[in-house]
Amino acid sequence: MTSARLTAAERMARLLGVIPWVVARDGALIDEMTARFDYPRDQLLADLTEVLFFVGVHPYTPDTLIEVDIADEVVHIRYADWFSQPLKLSAEEAARLLIAGRSVLALTPEGESGSVEAGAGEPADDGAGPLLRALAKLGLVLGDEAGASVEVSLGYAPRATLETLRQAVEDRRRVEIDYYSYHRDRLTTRAVDPALVFSDRGHWYLSGWCHRAGAERVFRADRIRSVTPTETHIEADLSRRDAPTPAPDSDGPVVTIRLTETAAWAAEQYPVLDRRDLDDGAVEVRMVASETWLARLLLRLGPEAEVVEWDPVIPPDLVASTAAKIFQRYRSRL
Amino acid sequence: MDKLERLLNLTAELLHASRPLTAEEIRRRMASAYPAEQASFRRSFERDKADLRSIGIPIRSSPAPGTDPPVEGYRIRRGEYAGRDPALTPDELAALHLAANLVRLEGGVGSAFTKLGGPLAALGDDEPDGGGDAAAVGVLPFDEPLAVLVEGAARRRVAAFVYNGEARTVEPWRLSFSRGHWYLSGWDRGRAAERVFRVDRITGSVTLDGPAGRAPPPAGDIGPMLGWELGDAEPVEARVSVDADLAAWACHVTGADGEPQPDGSVVLTLKVRNPDAFRSLVLSFLDRAEVLGPEELRLDVIDWLEALTEGGRTR
Repeated sequence: MTSARLTAAERMARLLGVIPWVVARDGALIDEMTARFDYPRDQLLADLTEVLFFVGVHPYTPDTLIEVDIADEVVHIRYADWFSQPLKLSAEEAARLLIAGRSVLALTPEGESGSVEAGAGEPADDGAGPLLRALAKLGLVLGDEAGASVEVSLGYAPRATLETLRQAVEDRRRVEIDYYSYHRDRLTTRAVDPALVFSDRGHWYLSGWCHRAGAERVFRADRIRSVTPTETHIEADLSRRDAPTPAPDSDGPVVTIRLTETAAWAAEQYPVLDRRDLDDGAVEVRMVASETWLARLLLRLGPEAEVVEWDPVIPPDLVASTAAKIFQRYRSRL
Repeated sequence: MDKLERLLNLTAELLHASRPLTAEEIRRRMASAYPAEQASFRRSFERDKADLRSIGIPIRSSPAPGTDPPVEGYRIRRGEYAGRDPALTPDELAALHLAANLVRLEGGVGSAFTKLGGPLAALGDDEPDGGGDAAAVGVLPFDEPLAVLVEGAARRRVAAFVYNGEARTVEPWRLSFSRGHWYLSGWDRGRAAERVFRVDRITGSVTLDGPAGRAPPPAGDIGPMLGWELGDAEPVEARVSVDADLAAWACHVTGADGEPQPDGSVVLTLKVRNPDAFRSLVLSFLDRAEVLGPEELRLDVIDWLEALTEGGRTR
């Protein structure tokens, strides 16, 4: 619960939600109002009895004032005609709720099969889940095409993989995964104690304790070729509420790369240690980079990227030799 | 007097008014709430208006009737203050609240739940924090242009914005979040063609205008927003061979079915509108993929590799 003092505007926003809610119910318990509206009890009581009681319009005679009555923990509010309806959801608030709802819907089998149809008519109520119904109703507020206006993909990993991983997290069961490491361009089999399945920038990840590395690791779910739950129960408490930032091994080689304006997207796409913006729109970034990963990045960016500081463990002809290797393949069929 | 009381009374007064009230009329009606001295009254009145607008109360100003020269008047129209009540049942509200906790949006959901009747208690009293802290599975970017575009798509209104330094007029169809970015698909009126835009590359703000004419294509499951399909070039069908060990992954990242070959490799057919992005994709498979055709795309990769091979030697 909020413990900091609320500003007058924050109390106002809460009261404008509380009043119609109480009016519609013809009385409500103080504790329920406190919990629902995140309104500290003492503040709520004071605002009801010392403030709202005196609210009305000119000339402030008793017949123009709101009536508040509290008895046995039950609050009644009467003659609050101006405030008897809640403030309208703004288009932005409705859009935010719609997006969150559509995202979660996409995680469920229900959301995968059916799209939310929110036409001008009444929302369908044929056994659809509460979230689907809520979004259909919200669509009526936002606009006729609301149902079709937003699509969210939190990641493209196979559903079966994600479900097995989520189940393993819940059961606290060790899993064995065949993992394709993009950074090392290698397929490995690892035993992992799974901690959290989460989405970051449009990809699903699994975080957990990797027994092969002997450390906590983050795996991209779409690169997990297969996952098998084992019988091993995990004793340690790995559960965490905050998702770690997916990043390559932080103990890998470090390079400094200058990216032209055209290639500056890479500075946002990948985790960087430092970033320096140069005058011409170019960016200089320091990043942890395994050899294969760096080769790929530089190959793709070509003249738009230049390494200004190599790590000694990375061969200086990395780009040329990788390019030559690929070129070889093309030359056999020139 | 408590400031909250003054804000509530001012709101009641403006909702009650049947015509715009001038500041002077408001000062007289609320004489006990505001200072009598003109300048300090004006200061607190302006602050109050700003506070009310900050929590979404729609105070409109227009010249007050019967004033000459015109004097600004203020009122709140009931139709703008309260909207159509979505009338969510408790289980629907709880489901929506849970969803907003599972998938967070940058900037939160504002006071949406206060307006909907605060579902916090509905999530169960056994959770000390009222369930507001369920582990999030992800956070999505959200900003003002996105909000306006969603509204435009939902209400079928034309959107105007600047993209790649050019003013565009677009009938927005759909906002899709894919691989970390929001994309707008719609009908680009200037180009008279369907286009896809990355929302975070829109410069400045988005404005909505009159009704959009074209019906959006039917909603379906979107595939990933694929870089090589986002461009202004005429689409070309490219064929790429990918070796067996990366075949499954390549099909997965491109969303293509791929024709399996006897040796376990696959041949992908991709629709390319952006050759640079296509080259970038192919190179990410290193020496385990090869562009089979058309010739111009194959030569583009070869030229690129040659330049890098030579560049590497001289560096």
